[in-house]
Amino acid sequence: MNKSFLDYFLKIRVPVILFVALASLTLTYYVSRAERDGVGYAPEQPIPYSHKLHAGTMGIDCQYCHTGASVSRHAMVPPVNTCMNCHTVARKNKPNIIRLTQYYNEGKLMPWKRVHKVPDYAYFNHSVHVNKGIDCQTCHGDIQNMEVVQQTNSWTMNNCIDCHRTAPVKLANIKGIKKGPENCFACHR
Amino acid sequence: MEPSNTNHESRYWKSLREYHNDPASADAKAHEFAKGVTDEFDVNTLSPMSRKQFLGALAASAAFAAAGCNSYRDKGEIVPYNKKPEEITLGVANHYASTCTGCAEACGILVKTREGRPIKVDGNPDHPVNKGSVCAQGQASILNLYDPERLKDPMLVSSGILTKTTWKVADTKLIAAFTAAANQKKEIALITHSLTSPSLTKLLGEFAAKYPGAKHYAYELFDGGARQSAWTKSTGGTALPVIAWEKANVVLAVESDFLGYDGNLPEQTRLFASRRDVMKGKNFNRLYSADATMNSTAMNADHRLRVRPDRQLAFVLSLLNEVRPSAQTSAYSLSAFVKENGLDDAVVKQLVNDLKANAGAAIVHAGDTMPEAVHIAVNLLNAALGNDALYRRDQAKHGYAPLIDAEQWSALVARMNAGQVAAVVHVDTNPVYHLAPDLGYADALKKVDTVVTLAELQNETTAVSSFVLPLNHTLEGWGDHQTRTGVLSLQQPVIAPLYNTRQKEAALLIWTAGNPDGYNETLYHDYVMARWEKEVYPAQKAKAGFKAFWLSALHDGVIATNDAAPALPAAKMDVVSTLKNTAVNGTVLALTKNYFVGDGRYANNGWLQEMPHPASKIAWDNYAALSPATAKSLGASEGSMVSVTAGSRSLALPVHVQPGLADDFVAVQLGYGRNVSGSVGENVGFNASVLLSKSDTTAPYTVGGVTLTLTGETYLLASTQEHHALDDTFLKDIHKKRGIIQEGTLAQYAEDPAFLEKEHSDLTIVPRVTYDGVKWGMAIDLNKCTGCGVCTLSCNAENNIPVVGKEQLHKGREMTWIRIDRYFSGEPDAPTVSNQPMLCQHCDNAPCENVCPVVATTHSPDGLNQMAYNRCVGTKYCSNNCPFKVRRFNFFDFRDDFAGGVQYEEPLPLMHNPEVTVRSRGVMEKCTFCVQRIMEGRQHAIEKGEEFTGAGVTVACQEACPAEAIVFGNVNDTTSKIHQYRKHSIGYRVLEEINVGPNVTYIAKLRNTDPV
Repeated sequence: MNKSFLDYFLKIRVPVILFVALASLTLTYYVSRAERDGVGYAPEQPIPYSHKLHAGTMGIDCQYCHTGASVSRHAMVPPVNTCMNCHTVARKNKPNIIRLTQYYNEGKLMPWKRVHKVPDYAYFNHSVHVNKGIDCQTCHGDIQNMEVVQQTNSWTMNNCIDCHRTAPVKLANIKGIKKGPENCFACHR
Repeated sequence: MEPSNTNHESRYWKSLREYHNDPASADAKAHEFAKGVTDEFDVNTLSPMSRKQFLGALAASAAFAAAGCNSYRDKGEIVPYNKKPEEITLGVANHYASTCTGCAEACGILVKTREGRPIKVDGNPDHPVNKGSVCAQGQASILNLYDPERLKDPMLVSSGILTKTTWKVADTKLIAAFTAAANQKKEIALITHSLTSPSLTKLLGEFAAKYPGAKHYAYELFDGGARQSAWTKSTGGTALPVIAWEKANVVLAVESDFLGYDGNLPEQTRLFASRRDVMKGKNFNRLYSADATMNSTAMNADHRLRVRPDRQLAFVLSLLNEVRPSAQTSAYSLSAFVKENGLDDAVVKQLVNDLKANAGAAIVHAGDTMPEAVHIAVNLLNAALGNDALYRRDQAKHGYAPLIDAEQWSALVARMNAGQVAAVVHVDTNPVYHLAPDLGYADALKKVDTVVTLAELQNETTAVSSFVLPLNHTLEGWGDHQTRTGVLSLQQPVIAPLYNTRQKEAALLIWTAGNPDGYNETLYHDYVMARWEKEVYPAQKAKAGFKAFWLSALHDGVIATNDAAPALPAAKMDVVSTLKNTAVNGTVLALTKNYFVGDGRYANNGWLQEMPHPASKIAWDNYAALSPATAKSLGASEGSMVSVTAGSRSLALPVHVQPGLADDFVAVQLGYGRNVSGSVGENVGFNASVLLSKSDTTAPYTVGGVTLTLTGETYLLASTQEHHALDDTFLKDIHKKRGIIQEGTLAQYAEDPAFLEKEHSDLTIVPRVTYDGVKWGMAIDLNKCTGCGVCTLSCNAENNIPVVGKEQLHKGREMTWIRIDRYFSGEPDAPTVSNQPMLCQHCDNAPCENVCPVVATTHSPDGLNQMAYNRCVGTKYCSNNCPFKVRRFNFFDFRDDFAGGVQYEEPLPLMHNPEVTVRSRGVMEKCTFCVQRIMEGRQHAIEKGEEFTGAGVTVACQEACPAEAIVFGNVNDTTSKIHQYRKHSIGYRVLEEINVGPNVTYIAKLRNTDPV
């Protein structure tokens, strides 16, 4: 049987092309997954606020600033007046604190860059998680060691559900913790 | 068990077409959506773009998108407050007590705000009159606040051209004009609606002191002052009594819609329904309705008598003659009346017996549209029976200004025409639209130099004014209100004014002070507070200081004052000799109240326009309602245009054939046909005010001797009536077989409380799921439900339901999650009505769930039928498979589709409840049992470290229901109310036998019809 060009094309060329295309797609998909999910995202903030200094070194409780975390769906990024509780006195002469004070005095709003985001059709609730005794770090990573806040976990539904299913194992340090709800209305409504 | 209930034998029908087995009706029911609406597809209207062009554009846009992806990780910003107000926690609602100013009832309201935005209005539970509920308008008033078409700046009008101006310019000109008028000793007419505010009353006095020519006129479209003048004439008293509805064993409604909008709907409905509570025993009240209009009260009556409004006087007087025969009433014989009007003799006999047997515990009530004579006769009948014992002695109605009548209007117009009036100030009123055209009010305004209209939205009166001044919404202003002795309520703003608007009182204060620079936002607040400190606080003898007292009053929204209720003098029976028979020959026209748009002031509120009328189920229109017999003799059918002529006045409008209406009678609702409003309300329906006449001073709402002529044209009335029919095509008595409506009589229930119980097979091929934690369920007591529709409006506001418009409504695409199904049974002339609120039943074996190809609708472990919008691809299979037809599909992004996208215009999106997704085109939606409230309850339980039992969770419809007919809770909690309702012997579930396991229990309606 004569080997025609068509034979070669169908038997070798096409499968190789398909394989290379599929392989590169698959590879790109998985390699870029974390980046696409936002892992490692650490935008520059209008004031280079350091969680490492405030939460780590000085050990200020997270909820001193994020007051909503235990009473509301939203943890709340603190208003400028929370900063001024200390900074009317502390480090008044540092350039960034001078800028901060300016914001406060002029009543200007602070446009913090959003680091963590769940889609708006998911109604994540901080209060129920915090009040169950789950640490902020479980989702937000070692925030007390971050000079610049960055996202460390992928925040996909997959990840939410994974933790909800394995909570008794994953969060074994919390006594009596049960599995989280897995039904749609738990997050979507 | 064979049903012993005679009503089970009756045939239920939803429309006359269905009653007469019209094949079109059967066909309509077989198809969930009207023919052609799912394939509206005209090739010529499609985009001219070819496939190649489309693909090219697609590729180009993809390339652009890819090129623009360099900042794809950017997630935007979080912008916190600079200085966060102490009381605000993001995600946690605040509630403020205030007072609704939507009508003269001034109900107490509780406003829910999120992050400073009011998002829901409910009744103030601490308010002694309306307790925790408000009417449909109150619920929907939030939409008016955010209406994008509100007036935003003061306007000067000269020769028809509007120019934007500042308050200072307008105030300067007005102060000069008022001063000039006072100097020339000319009149300044201030035209308001009923005054409910003591502070505003005081302020009007001060205005008149500053400008001596100022005169105040108060009017209402639906209140010619007949009830008040009748009370004064029959008893000599001034304060109108308040009825203790809960104590009445028998109620006779004389063309009275006290379960609708005659009086205070929330209060009356609550008190009336409290005597129809199967959980409290079998001591039901009995409701008779003598009416012609088939109103909400008539629909709920145990016995109904069709009496034309012009014959009501004869009817009441013949009852009086029966109860207490006298020479003056001897001309009125009940038996003759029964014969002449073709009434059911047995019912009338029972009525007389009931009235006599329950003397002192029965009440006769005449409606607002009745003339003075009928009110007098009713007062006398109540007195003769000793029913005045039901007038509350601790409380009476309290008004601040008498309403003016037609004669006073004519006098004012005459003075305007004679040039004696220098200025007219319309204080949030629209008389050009309301008044009888033959009064010539609009023309007389042309003779007045300064015409000022203060309004929230443009209207017919702003169109002929020289100054148009924008007003605050109720939720943006201060005030105090009193409608009853001993009850004083406060109104406080819950949001800063959205635009350059002021409250009417502040405008008056500026004019009174004569200082155009004197405005600040707390101006009227300070005025009210100062008045309270001087006049209210000392009388309270409070131990706290004034500031603490004031803040506590603001917190509660209402205080009890020590004012003694005025004495209620006894009726003078001899007044009866002054009453003249009002009966007329020929066809009678009744101009009635409408249920949702009020006197036209809610015309631009889409939620209210879209609420179907409780009896006709027609929305977005008014119409000439005719009885089947009258329509037949006229040759009219549904939608034929008929010209209604009364004297020289005439109006053409479409016919609706209304079962149960009186014969030789036509009923038309007022409040429609606004021709200057916003894009929602303009030219909706027909302006029936043109049929009013200045000469009918005593009974402007009943016009005798009208002629009806068909014009030959037809008109489309959009009705929700035949949509979502629950029944099968050719089996006409399917309701009986299916038991969708199950009802009986109180006597049957008294004899055997389990008379409705049936055997049910639990046979199933699917494994039963057990719910051992919390399981949600609802119960609706059909004995209490009056079909008022407040639940629907409350649900709309809570769950971000869009307005779809008349055209889409006609196609069956209304989006309301809870609807009131209305079934007729019996004969078209005198049908029996059954109302049934219908919403997602959250079935245990939900048929919708099995057919979803993308698993967008599933069941939760706490028994909720879930809907994940972001998963839905819009196959509509679920809706097709739902036996209750409660699923709603977004055929469009209705917010964008309706009225040029007005629902997307700023600031309307601020109204949305942030806890509920705003659904877009192509997804299915339905009742969620207010899952956002359930999740909030769960959150609070977790915060307290308690187990979540479901106690304390209320859903929006339940919270709003004035009759307290809706119960919701955890059915596994044996201490809960819902647990009791679910096991009640006359509780049933719709379509239980098909084993879908619905979780809404209906308590069967018991009619209190049998003679005691």
